[in-house]
Amino acid sequence: MAPPLDSSQPRLAAGCRWGGSDADRVILFPEGAIKLQGTGRQVLERCDGKRTFGEIIAELQKQFDDADPQKIRADITMFLEQLQKKRIVDY
Amino acid sequence: MIPNPLALIAEVTHRCPLHCVYCSNPLQLAGTESELSTEQWTSIFQQSGKLGMLHAHFTGGEPLARQDLTELIAAARAAGLYTNLITSGIGLGEQRLAVLVAAGLDHIQVSFQDSREDSANWIAGTKAHAHKIELSRVIRRHKVAFTVNLVVHRQNLDHLEEMIAFIEQLNPDRVEIAHTQYYGWALANRAALMPTRAQIEAAVQIVAGAEKRLAGRVRIDSVVPDYYAKYPKACMGGWGRRLMLINPAGKVLPCHAAEVIPGMTFENVREKTLEWIWRESASFCRFRGEEWMPEPCRSCDRRAEDFGGCRCQAFLLAADATVTDPACSLAPTHGIVEAAIREANSDAAVASPKTASSFVQLQRETSSLWDYRTNPE
Repeated sequence: MAPPLDSSQPRLAAGCRWGGSDADRVILFPEGAIKLQGTGRQVLERCDGKRTFGEIIAELQKQFDDADPQKIRADITMFLEQLQKKRIVDY
Repeated sequence: MIPNPLALIAEVTHRCPLHCVYCSNPLQLAGTESELSTEQWTSIFQQSGKLGMLHAHFTGGEPLARQDLTELIAAARAAGLYTNLITSGIGLGEQRLAVLVAAGLDHIQVSFQDSREDSANWIAGTKAHAHKIELSRVIRRHKVAFTVNLVVHRQNLDHLEEMIAFIEQLNPDRVEIAHTQYYGWALANRAALMPTRAQIEAAVQIVAGAEKRLAGRVRIDSVVPDYYAKYPKACMGGWGRRLMLINPAGKVLPCHAAEVIPGMTFENVREKTLEWIWRESASFCRFRGEEWMPEPCRSCDRRAEDFGGCRCQAFLLAADATVTDPACSLAPTHGIVEAAIREANSDAAVASPKTASSFVQLQRETSSLWDYRTNPE
């Protein structure tokens, strides 16, 4: 699978949804769950099937404006590609 | 401090329209009259949510045999749990599925016995295969995640590639390829089910190839055959570490098979709370942690990874639940597993029957091969 395009709209894959408490948010999937904290959580909370990948990157680049924007892009791309392989995210 | 359990396995009934020869249910099935009520299950789900559990896996028997399954799914979902229905699909059509999904069903797992209809029905002891295919199409029309589970063993492993291709066209999100584990009915039928080493080696290659080919499209999870492994499986992620199983009669167990271990008393949800059972009961504390461990586990670097393997298997094979799992190559009792492997690979081992013209004919020709799972009183 290819990395997401800027125009794609990432979303949680079928059978995956948010759960847990607000302090302890997890993504639930058929045979397990992953705990999400920090930037991972910030990225996935924006994967709502509405925002485009380009918009998600722009929002996070703005929020973390002291970090290298190209590194942010590369990190988010890799993160979503990994989750896509695990069938947690679709784009 | 004992960490919270992660998931509940809700064995809501032992009734089942199938008679699979590898069923993991105990030989002594819980009778229909002893089954918990809707209210009792609702309380269990509420307690599970409060205990911090995340998943409720509905299994049986066949959960659809419960007329109140919709209420049970809704109750689990209301308690914050992710709901997973593990089913044969018998008793499920478009209408009932729509109701279950509306009640909050997150995920459905349908088991297939084979890609070939006669063989699938022969293994299940009933004509269920065609319905499962039809149901798979129905499932894809609904907003629910879909896993196909395929149990593999001596009788079907020779055409694993064909089975994976068959599953692919059912279009699931996920596939579980599970080598038979020898408990309950599967242990009773082990001679007919245990694969040869050549079958295992070929299967590993085929599954690896399929994982690569389907990456990003279908997720494949495999359950490995522990008899052929070097080290034992971390059964249930360790005794009393992650899971609680409640059987149809309300008995709370750390796994599917624990009732076979003699001298143990398991609590019932009718008398105690789940939290008390998880934290305090003698049964859940019995093999938790490392205190109970014998050598070679006690001084083994892997003890925090596999927890000494499976207590039930230790009892079933070595007649002592407190010894290292005989599946471990370091276990003093490993000779028991080696003997089973030798037998499965010997010339005298049971052969696969020739393809017969019908499932009834297959059953007749192989009437002494195995015992079908029966139903509770």
